[in-house]
Amino acid sequence: MSRRTKGSALLMQRSLLVMALLVFLAPILWLIMTAYEPSRAIQSVPPTLRFTPSLANFASIASNFDLPRLTLSSMVISAGSTMLSLLLGIPCGYALARTRMRSAILLAYAFLAIRGVPTVVTLIPFYLFMRQLHLLGSWWAVILMNATLSTAFVAWMMYTAFRAIPREVEDAAIVDGCSAFGAFWRVALPLARTSVAAAALLCMMFAWNDYLNPAFLTRAETRPLSVALLTAFGGNTTSGWGTLGAMAHLSTIPIVLAGLLLNRYLTAGLTRGIH
Amino acid sequence: MQRSLLRLTSPRRRSLFLFVMAAPAALHVAVFALYPILRGVGFSLFQMNLMQPWLHRFICLRNYTDALADPEIRHSLIVTLIFTLGCVTAELVLGFCLALLLWPDSRFNRVATTLMLVPITVTPIVVGLIFRALLDPSFGLIGYWLVHAHLAPPQGLLGDTRTALPTMMVVDVWEWTPLVALILLAALKALPSDVLDAAEIDGADHVRRLRLIILPMMLPALFLVLVLRVTDVFRTYDIVFAATAGGPADSTNLLMLSAVKQGLLFFDIGYGSAISILMTLCIVLMAAVIMLTLRRMDRRFNES
Repeated sequence: MSRRTKGSALLMQRSLLVMALLVFLAPILWLIMTAYEPSRAIQSVPPTLRFTPSLANFASIASNFDLPRLTLSSMVISAGSTMLSLLLGIPCGYALARTRMRSAILLAYAFLAIRGVPTVVTLIPFYLFMRQLHLLGSWWAVILMNATLSTAFVAWMMYTAFRAIPREVEDAAIVDGCSAFGAFWRVALPLARTSVAAAALLCMMFAWNDYLNPAFLTRAETRPLSVALLTAFGGNTTSGWGTLGAMAHLSTIPIVLAGLLLNRYLTAGLTRGIH
Repeated sequence: MQRSLLRLTSPRRRSLFLFVMAAPAALHVAVFALYPILRGVGFSLFQMNLMQPWLHRFICLRNYTDALADPEIRHSLIVTLIFTLGCVTAELVLGFCLALLLWPDSRFNRVATTLMLVPITVTPIVVGLIFRALLDPSFGLIGYWLVHAHLAPPQGLLGDTRTALPTMMVVDVWEWTPLVALILLAALKALPSDVLDAAEIDGADHVRRLRLIILPMMLPALFLVLVLRVTDVFRTYDIVFAATAGGPADSTNLLMLSAVKQGLLFFDIGYGSAISILMTLCIVLMAAVIMLTLRRMDRRFNES
């Protein structure tokens, strides 16, 4: 292939990618922009991109919503779900990877299958179950619900990660006087830390962005940002888009930034988690 | 003596240790996932509405036969199948093209891959709302001009029964194509380079290399993406709920929306559970068909 055709192929490839990126990023940039746009400008006919920036939308959400409380709810729910899922899922994935029992693989597949069940199947009985336990409306209800889905997912992901680590490394540590738990804690776990980070990030993303579970399991004081976003409109389509943009600064931008900063783990998790 | 006994790594001690490690997760999943699922199966056999507790009674499979005969549910099933088929096909084709574009390793491509993650991380409810606003016929940045250019119906793309479903498919494709691309990209990068080099030296052109070497070796990754996307698209809720809430006139009323409406808004627990269990059966069936088809394809490629 001549240098010239190679150069034009590269130009073609890059311009296609730039176009794709524009399509993927423009809606988000528009959303961020609306936050600084006065509500009258958003509804201008015909719509334009020109306006005088203002912080009115931020003032409006601060006076209409208990923002610290909503943010706290989101943080408690995602941190709690993530910690519980890791605490339960990592040792389980390790056990599945190390056992010599043939049926262990079946349990691993059962965990994967639980991920495939639509949330609504468990949500209806879970709602009644939490009502019986007097946990309905509390953060615990959402954390326990998220952790069931995420634990299964973490266990599966760690099962594949630990299987890739040779046993001999741990056997050597046990010969040196390490306990069985020590071999897991001090040898295998540090070797699998990339997968742990990936699993944690995916659990956190799932819990932070989820709408359906917290919408039914929380009440006004325990509501997270993702649920408040929608109730902020209440079906009102002619106002509130600027407020959405302002709310998105709190609810969406942190998780997008976390994804971008930790993208190495995110890609590892997305690709390894399903293998 | 006591210490050396403790340190003894007999197979029985070893399996006890592993059992203790696995037990909490298994117990948690059994109590908070398996038990609710089984209770849901139980509910689906009863006439059970929380608003009318005096009417509870066992009706065997009546909820299932009712659901299958219900025109709203039938319509939802068709809408969901069209949605799933359309979205997954478009996501696989576009995702594969994107992955091929991102394949050569360069600084530019690494930055592009990172930025590609953004749609995946955005809260799905927000995704639905963004497109609802952008496509609004009276003030939406895209919708207004589309309507004025007569490229969209006067009620906007999401307000017309004919265009709402295809538009929602575009939104889902926008959100999830990057995920497909990233997974396929990882699979492309894992391909053995010696095989690819050999094919290039043998003079195989791009199309033939793609069809005869790359695609067959990508089959396991394609299979995983296919199963993942089919099961996830089939139970889409957030983006459609935020953008159209199932309307106009039920044209985007996916099964998941029907199930949530019956079970959690109308408190018709029995009927809602039956619909969700029918959904689960559909998902299992589709996953099984994909798995068997791909296994057969894999065998054919590897034998010839």
